[in-house]
Amino acid sequence: MSEAVASCPRSGYAPARGLVEVAALVGALAALWFAPDFAGDYWLQLGFRTCVYLALAQGWNLMAGSAGLVSLGTSCFVGLGAYVAFGLLNHLGTPLPLVLLICAITGGALAALVSPALFRLRGLYFTVGTLALAELLRLLMVNVSAFGGATGIFLQEDPPALPVLFRYALVVAFVASLAITLCARTRASVIFRAVRDDEDAAAQMGVRPYRVKLGAFVLASALAAMAGGIQAVKLGVIEPYGMFGLQWSIDVLSMVIIGGVGLRLGPLVGALLVVALGEALADYPEAHIAIAGVILIVLIRFAPHGVVGLAAKLPLTRRVPA
Amino acid sequence: MNATDTLPLLEVKGLVKRYGGLVAIDHVDLRLRSGAITGVIGPNGAGKSTLIGLIGGAVVASEGSVRLDGRDVSRLPASERARAGIGRTYQIPRPFLDMSVEENLEVAQYSIAPFIRATAAREEREALLARTGLADVAKLTARALPLLRRKRLEVARALALKPRVVLLDEVGAGLVDSEITELIRLVHSILDARTAILVVEHVIRVVRECCSRTTVLNFGKTLIEGPTADILGNDQVAAVYLGTGGVRETLMADGTVPAADSAIHVSAPEAETRVLAPLTAAVQAEAATAPALQLAGICAGYGQARVLQGIDLTAQSGQAIAILGANGAGKTTLARTISGVIAPTAGALLIGGQDVSGRPPHQIAALGVSHCMEGRRIFPTLSVQENLLIAARGADASTARARLEAVYDLFPILAERKSQGGTSMSGGQQQMLAIGRALMARPRLVIFDEISLGLAPVVMDKLYEALALLKKARMTLIIIEQDVDRALALADHAYVLEHGTIALSGTPRQIAADPRLRHIYIGAAEDAATGEIEHAAG
Repeated sequence: MSEAVASCPRSGYAPARGLVEVAALVGALAALWFAPDFAGDYWLQLGFRTCVYLALAQGWNLMAGSAGLVSLGTSCFVGLGAYVAFGLLNHLGTPLPLVLLICAITGGALAALVSPALFRLRGLYFTVGTLALAELLRLLMVNVSAFGGATGIFLQEDPPALPVLFRYALVVAFVASLAITLCARTRASVIFRAVRDDEDAAAQMGVRPYRVKLGAFVLASALAAMAGGIQAVKLGVIEPYGMFGLQWSIDVLSMVIIGGVGLRLGPLVGALLVVALGEALADYPEAHIAIAGVILIVLIRFAPHGVVGLAAKLPLTRRVPA
Repeated sequence: MNATDTLPLLEVKGLVKRYGGLVAIDHVDLRLRSGAITGVIGPNGAGKSTLIGLIGGAVVASEGSVRLDGRDVSRLPASERARAGIGRTYQIPRPFLDMSVEENLEVAQYSIAPFIRATAAREEREALLARTGLADVAKLTARALPLLRRKRLEVARALALKPRVVLLDEVGAGLVDSEITELIRLVHSILDARTAILVVEHVIRVVRECCSRTTVLNFGKTLIEGPTADILGNDQVAAVYLGTGGVRETLMADGTVPAADSAIHVSAPEAETRVLAPLTAAVQAEAATAPALQLAGICAGYGQARVLQGIDLTAQSGQAIAILGANGAGKTTLARTISGVIAPTAGALLIGGQDVSGRPPHQIAALGVSHCMEGRRIFPTLSVQENLLIAARGADASTARARLEAVYDLFPILAERKSQGGTSMSGGQQQMLAIGRALMARPRLVIFDEISLGLAPVVMDKLYEALALLKKARMTLIIIEQDVDRALALADHAYVLEHGTIALSGTPRQIAADPRLRHIYIGAAEDAATGEIEHAAG
């Protein structure tokens, strides 16, 4: 086991590779921007869902893979983003790009607000704490009638057309990927990994673990809230059980684990696989959950670094270390 | 020079640390001056590492103050103290395992100077790695490094902070003479007029040759403080700490040969042998014919690296075998091959006449082989007693209890700490626990890999007395040791490894007298120089 981990290629930061990654991201954005001109509604739906998932998974991967924070609170920030977006759109008529920006700021602010309490908890206790936070917000929405109570809220205007929504989601995913690239391909990456591996030893190196964890948590939460905002606009109607549902948190967690925790391509591969699997088994909802569970168990047992980690170990794809 | 001339760079006043009822550090005062190296010595569990933790900020003091350059840093967390200029090492290294050696240093560099120019940072790193002898492994992950290399990484990481106060916690443990000479040189090279260094060390040579003043801790209190030469000559210190260790020190370097005929220098009363009886397996009839352990042409290594290249070795039942050699010669690999942790790539491994080459470690353990691993490997979530009992699985409760009592007789401190967490004890006490755990399985053959590493000299005396008793009880012992004199005094037969082959073998008397032993350990070029240092210091 330990040998396997040691031989698993882990790339450090490399400025040149960072530029290549940014270029690839910009290229992908430019290419997919014109997807609505060619692809039908079905593919745009899938693309939209993949983009939303990717944004969530990128943030989660930063927290878990780089800072060691395993969160089950994704749904909390998705739901928050959804409610903030509807509030702004219904009451103030704020333009959508600004709405998404405010969603992100609110998500980050909530994360910063709760962090003094949450960061007192380490490891699994932190995970349970985030779960409690999501539940707390959901109950708040259910019980406060100003937020629509259990029945939820309708979007008063008609949501934009699907191609427009797809492009919004694409930009959200792009922003998320870009932000994570900046964290993973700069000097910040060693600091993040130091905190994940050994918080106390990192502190003796002058690293301030609290700030590092806060940074990762705030960024991931901002991304989740932004993704939640665009998801809500597409739905046109939100209610607390769906937007604060545990399913969001579980989906994100499985995506990153299937793709590969802490690996750069993990979230992308994971999001694509989860969406593809969902489509392939769309007609058998019960089998879908069971099969996804089996895949998760098999991967954790035989490929603890996910699909990407497995691929990196195959002789054909292994790169000669620089 | 008058001691009150200059303000100390680091001043510790009335420092107290209590863990519940236990007082680990009891009103300790300490002054570190710029341009000076201060030593702290003391028995295992005296509170030396706790003191370093208190100064570095990893441990929060119950009382007292720590002042750096006149500024009170007692309330600051570890990260802020590191940024203020306090760099420390961990006695049990804690590198970031999945990062490369280089990245381990980057953590310190980029945390204190996030916008340092990349080329400047790289040059600094390269210089540091060259100084600490890690240049050849810069790109490897820390996980791939053996224990001693990890210790050097600890030093390199602390220095990457460009600290004003450097706290070194037992960085000399496990080094052979020539490496200690290098270490002493390194410590001196760190020192400049603005820096102060604190050295916690059991290797007395480091204390003697580096430290101008030394403090002795005992039970968390300052026993005595003064110029190093006075301290090391003090009778009280000899009684609580040095034992015979201070005298033995110089034997290797000045060429005198230890008295090999005093093979068992302990005249143990029969009662003591009986105390150990629960831990020693009954001698079996077949053991008389087949050797307890036989290696024929064993080759082994890690991946591409072939470490052992054709080892032949025989241990008769009841013999003590010493395995000597410089660090990196393959001693630990040999130990791991015998216990089955690594499968040999060629050759035969016979235990009690049975070929077990390539068998997994638990099957080899079932044949009565116990391996006391380098680096202790204590289970952190288990208590001291549970750590011991886990090795006696399969034995019924009363047998396990008898063995437990025997281990507690051997190391009374373990009985005192039995319900504490395994890794909450001091480094030396953990070493005792590791030895006790190896014995709990009532093995026929025990491999002791660097067991005296990190132990106070006086405890080493006791430990070797215990080993002599085990030998008397007909247990087969494989002893891997850097303390050549002690190992040879106990052994019936010795092997010296060099570059993965056996360079010398013979009776302890032959080995000790062989000039090649000195050559292997010290290197011909350094013979004269080391001798001179020893004479000057002695």
